[in-house]
Amino acid sequence: MTIWGLRSSRTVIVGLAVVVSVIVCGLPLAYMLVQAGASSDAYAALLLDARQLALLYNTTALGIGTALLATLIGAPLGLTLARVAVPFKPGLRIALAAPVLLPPYVTGLAWVYTAGSAGFVASVTGRDLLSEWTYSLSGAILVLSLVFYPLSMLATEVAARRIEPRLEEAALVIAPPGRVLRHITLPLVAPAVAAAALVIFVLAVSEFGVPGLLRVRVFTTEVFTAFAALYDFGRATVLTLPLLGLSIIVAAVAALLVGERLVATRRALSGAQPLAFEGWTLGTNAAAACVLGIALVIPLAVLAREALAVPSVAAVVAGSREAIRNSLVLAALGATIVTLLAVWLGYARARAPHRLGVVADVLFVVLFAVPSTVVGVGLIGVWNRAGVFGRLYGTDGMLLLAYVARFLPVAALALAAGIRYVPTSHEEAAAVGGAGWWRTMIRIVLPQIRLTLLATWIVVFILAFGELGASVLVAPPGEATLPIRIYTIIANTAPAQIAALALLQALVVLSPLAVLVLATTAWRRQ
Amino acid sequence: MTLPLLRLAGVTKRYGPRAAVDGVSLDVHAGESVVILGPSGCGKTTVLRLIAGLERPDAGEIWLDGRTVARAGRNLVPPYERQLGYVFQDLALWPHLTVRGNLEFVMASAAVPQDARAERAREILALVRIELLADRHPHELSGGEQQRAALARALVGQPRLLLLDEPFSSLDPDLRVVLREEVDRLQRVLHLTSIYVTHDREDASVLADRVIEMREGRNVAQRQTPRESLRS
Repeated sequence: MTIWGLRSSRTVIVGLAVVVSVIVCGLPLAYMLVQAGASSDAYAALLLDARQLALLYNTTALGIGTALLATLIGAPLGLTLARVAVPFKPGLRIALAAPVLLPPYVTGLAWVYTAGSAGFVASVTGRDLLSEWTYSLSGAILVLSLVFYPLSMLATEVAARRIEPRLEEAALVIAPPGRVLRHITLPLVAPAVAAAALVIFVLAVSEFGVPGLLRVRVFTTEVFTAFAALYDFGRATVLTLPLLGLSIIVAAVAALLVGERLVATRRALSGAQPLAFEGWTLGTNAAAACVLGIALVIPLAVLAREALAVPSVAAVVAGSREAIRNSLVLAALGATIVTLLAVWLGYARARAPHRLGVVADVLFVVLFAVPSTVVGVGLIGVWNRAGVFGRLYGTDGMLLLAYVARFLPVAALALAAGIRYVPTSHEEAAAVGGAGWWRTMIRIVLPQIRLTLLATWIVVFILAFGELGASVLVAPPGEATLPIRIYTIIANTAPAQIAALALLQALVVLSPLAVLVLATTAWRRQ
Repeated sequence: MTLPLLRLAGVTKRYGPRAAVDGVSLDVHAGESVVILGPSGCGKTTVLRLIAGLERPDAGEIWLDGRTVARAGRNLVPPYERQLGYVFQDLALWPHLTVRGNLEFVMASAAVPQDARAERAREILALVRIELLADRHPHELSGGEQQRAALARALVGQPRLLLLDEPFSSLDPDLRVVLREEVDRLQRVLHLTSIYVTHDREDASVLADRVIEMREGRNVAQRQTPRESLRS
């Protein structure tokens, strides 16, 4: 965009957003990388340790296992949503996507209450059949797959919808639907499916709550132990490095694989979908219902069943009132700050030249892939010092920084995708009409992406409300959010009370989702 | 009098309240080259899609080789069992496959024996004069080469009826003339039965034995061309 000169307000606003994001998202990462150089001896010694090799094995197996299983569940569902006539499709899509918005440890807790030694299965059968398996690497893979499969599902659906229907029709004229799916549709969606699998891998190796809950030793739990139990900041830093390296490489590959499609979704020329896929309705609907039951309905039902044993829900809520209030206020503040920054970063990305845009995409994805405990340790390293930086340390501001560091990159990508749909000619027309950049943004561009702005705010609120890995490290002493409170009282509190809090958390997460559904429906009616 | 290869009887297709095709009837005999001529939006592409089985007729019947393939609201024979070749307006070459791969998929679907496929592909590519481009992907071909590849793909399964949906509409006039003559040559060499959809009268005069004119979903006129007159 050459119509806005360097002297326009664009320079100040976008420049400020970039500077803030570099300080909050980039500095902790840079700090960790500098530490890597400085502690190369400790790093080498650590790598030779058989204990660390086991950690590396567990972490990698968790990532690969989750990526494969989540793809096996999610990709066929994505194809179903894109190609098969399913009743109540918009609602079903949101319900199937909901598990990814629940904090992973809530699903983990539900699984423990289902298959643990005192869980539902044990109480029905009278035998402890599944607890050994639940507290294992396989159990963690299953739980994380049930959390992350919607990412594969949504990526596959978007990719399948982007395929020009003529390509499938040209094949359907000569081959049955199964063969068309295998030879034409699947190869065309394969890059998106692979990229989603890589992102799931990164998220799984970055996940702290579920492995911690199911007692699976991986790098994220070791970082937490080194920092919070052993008070060994150096060891915690060194332990983050393999994790960081793994995440950055895989995320960069994923971003390059998807390329321009991260922020540009080309709509197919004709809206019609091939007829012949409609014959698969019965089987695919049954499969979707099964997944929905296992990933959403059963976990919520099990939590509700467990929570019913609480003598007084009001007492449980009262006992955690402070944590609930903190979570709501901080998540709302965090979502607002993230959205306000992300809209300008997204704008800069959307209007960037092609090559710069690709670099920005890779950077955003890499920053989003930085594991939560690594973000926590990095933030402490940067902000726990004398001077200006130190004033924020030990306050709730650290939690806000953690939310911005973790969720700004993904929010910027989402908003960039939204802004790409606003043609640059709209800005040019406003400029020719005499409007400045700021006025053009407020009156022309932002109104056109208001639904994307609302969706971004809601998604960031949900993510921040459930954030645990970074929060548990940077939260000031005595302050707790709901996830921190649940995580810290698991060991010494009655399951019913924990289940009630987890259910409360799930309801708070799902309520804004309902608002989003209603807003989308109202917008479509307009 | 021989039975027509294709018969449409009172075929109607609606999108909402609007009838894209409104009671169209049409016979096409084996070896005949029919051109459906009409302005954009007159329903000519929909006629092809109905014949191919990519749309269901709301009323009327479609017979292919003496067999009912579609009847009001139902496709009785799925598209892939109708033995058709289809050249789409945007060609729809599969981008992840080479030219040979595009042909290979069709031959495998048409159950051409494995050991005969290479020779068949070579023959067809030679016929459309792109035998040296077999291992290229569609994006590595020029516009004209892509048209030839799409034509080769439509022909390689030895269809009993070839459907062409304005395949040259996006080409420059010179290339259009060259390729039109190529199609004319192929029709004569292979004794093809074809339906060619266009809005260009020149296409019609060169390629058609018979021209059917469409307006607002109906076939309004039918006439023989000089080519057919010469033939008869």
